[in-house]
Amino acid sequence: MLKKVRAQHTAQQSLSLEVPAVRAEFTQASNARPAVVRHLWLGVYLPALALEAVMDVNSADAFAVVEDQQGLRRVLLTNAKATAAGICRGMSVNAALALLPVLSLAERNPAREEQVLIKLVTWAKQFTSFVSIEKPAVLLLEIAGSLRLFGGLGTLRRRISGDLQQQGFTASLAIAPTPLAATWLARAGNRVCIRDRKNLTGALSRLPLSCLDWPEAVCESLQAMGIAAIGDCLRLPRQGFARRFGASCLLQLDRALGRLPDPRKCYLTAEVFCREYELNEEQSDRELLLNACRELLLELERFLLSRQRMVQRIRFSFFHLQGPATHLTVGCAQADRSIEHWCELLAIRLDRLQLPAAVIAIRLQSSRGQPLSTTTGRLAFSKTDSRRQESLISHLVERLSARIGDESVHGIMAVAEHRPQYAWRASRLFAQPPQCPATPPVAELWRNSSLLSQRPLWMLPEPRALDMRQNLPHYQGPLTLLDGPERLETGWWDDDGIARDYFVASNPAGMQLWIFRNRTRDNHGESGWYLHGMFG
Amino acid sequence: MDDVLEKLLQTPRLWRGCSPADKPGWRGLESGYPRLDRHLPGGGWPPHALTEILLEHYGTGELKLLMPALARLSQASGEDAAGWIAWIAPPFDPYPPALAQWGINLSRVLIVRPKKAGECLWAAEQALSSGNCVAVLVWSERMDDVASRRLQLAAEKGQSWAIAFRSVKALSGSSAAALRIRVSAGEKGTDLGILKSRGGRPAVIRDYASAAEH
Repeated sequence: MLKKVRAQHTAQQSLSLEVPAVRAEFTQASNARPAVVRHLWLGVYLPALALEAVMDVNSADAFAVVEDQQGLRRVLLTNAKATAAGICRGMSVNAALALLPVLSLAERNPAREEQVLIKLVTWAKQFTSFVSIEKPAVLLLEIAGSLRLFGGLGTLRRRISGDLQQQGFTASLAIAPTPLAATWLARAGNRVCIRDRKNLTGALSRLPLSCLDWPEAVCESLQAMGIAAIGDCLRLPRQGFARRFGASCLLQLDRALGRLPDPRKCYLTAEVFCREYELNEEQSDRELLLNACRELLLELERFLLSRQRMVQRIRFSFFHLQGPATHLTVGCAQADRSIEHWCELLAIRLDRLQLPAAVIAIRLQSSRGQPLSTTTGRLAFSKTDSRRQESLISHLVERLSARIGDESVHGIMAVAEHRPQYAWRASRLFAQPPQCPATPPVAELWRNSSLLSQRPLWMLPEPRALDMRQNLPHYQGPLTLLDGPERLETGWWDDDGIARDYFVASNPAGMQLWIFRNRTRDNHGESGWYLHGMFG
Repeated sequence: MDDVLEKLLQTPRLWRGCSPADKPGWRGLESGYPRLDRHLPGGGWPPHALTEILLEHYGTGELKLLMPALARLSQASGEDAAGWIAWIAPPFDPYPPALAQWGINLSRVLIVRPKKAGECLWAAEQALSSGNCVAVLVWSERMDDVASRRLQLAAEKGQSWAIAFRSVKALSGSSAAALRIRVSAGEKGTDLGILKSRGGRPAVIRDYASAAEH
């Protein structure tokens, strides 16, 4: 029977819709390696989307969605309780209310439906990178590449349907090698899984015409011809079919059977995360606000996971009924996507944030972020996991800088420079690229060279002029010079050149000091003594 | 006479000061100064505890005292990764060339400069209890008995060595620190006075840096 259909098709080679090259490739592929599947589409049909998009999930009341049909408001979908009361599709609103006066009604909201679909795409992106929306209520997931990662077709399918159920959606899933076939099978409510194209014709033949999205007129005239299923369509001569019902219907059939390519557009989710959370009433309780923020962060985590990115900075905006919104930017030293970590930082910051009024809505925005860099797990039990330690210390640094301020937490490094005040600088923690050696060579030089004289552990931010008594420098008593001079005369090439003699001195209190005398005389003709450091 | 002494030694009411110091149940961090180590139970600084250093003026040898031990902690050795050393609210700038001369691994130094005095102890507690810092040095004017107890607990929790620098004015107050040392200028060098040592005894060490016994 199948062969007959195919033979019939090959006989009519003059058809303009046929693409010989593709056809040849298809037959060749199916002859040589029939088991090879290049694509596998999972169609997710949401039959009650119009209802679920507008319904309050927690409400237990009878509920129906109504739609304007030719000037009359008619019931489109009902929940279980309304169905039990005898309200069904197509009933006029007046009739429905007569049956059940407490019925709550809502207008169908296509914009809201689309929002829900987009939210579901974001969710579905965790299973595959390719998700496409087939309006009005079908999602197509290309899952051939995901099977191995998620532990096979059965596991993946169970997980997807379980997640959907948890989110409160009724869904019917079908798997087929072409997107259209998956759509039609899902619409028909067939829980099938077809992996081989050879079985496609058989499975599609049984489907009624109602699951195709063809124009009403076409369906009616086909019905009038006594054609009720797709299989009947396939038996008709192609040329006549195309002439009577339009080339697009034939094209769809060919695409569904995989005879012609069916390119799809991958739905791209937004690059930047921006979500709002509306509170039911004005709220100023920190704990509740934190919970709302947690909700947003959870969504952010999902978003970042689907895009395989991580962010370093996020921004919360707290909206008040009156007055401008309060903004709070939270950053961390190393990009992260784990929600616990963000929550911890946020809790510290929120604790110190002055909110001028109660909050009515919260918005979370994130930057585009950077690609996720994952670390390979290690099977070592030693404590030498420096990567892990690095990440833990960064958590500490973030906690500290969240409360004290970014600029107040830093590292230090030695700089190759003879002038003492330039021989070091504060360095940003974790800013260096990882290929740089951990210790700069300058520090090695200081450690290993015995020629360099001892430097003081404490440095004064600015040299401090010392009192002079009887021509002797004083610092809490007269100073005794212990060592020196060490002459540092350098930096003549810029404005900050020095010409100094450094000495090690001690005072009666037992402090060891690093003092210097300028070799150039100042305006009064004096060469003053200065304190520059202490030996600690 | 002998059996009288024997009987006396058997009495549980008799406390023998030397016994816990001999076997303190931990191994101290070698200070790098043998004469100091001899007076500390465990042969070194008490690990995972608070050490208080009381001093009159900065620059009297209080940092030099810690440098050998800190240098060893900051370098990776065998199983242990290089540890971080946090300096919280230092009174001056710690000078990297000098730190490098003492052998401190500069890439493991974390400087924290809180703007408010109250944040100082908070930061110290965070750093200690995080378990990522091998040593935390804190300079705070606001230390009291309660704060020292908190730091001591945080050090135990995070397995870290806490070092608090306080003024000699705190000498009369009580403290939960495992070790309190007074640093003062002596005739020849810096003298150390062990005021309190858990499992050890008070002592005075003259010119601790020199090798010879006075």
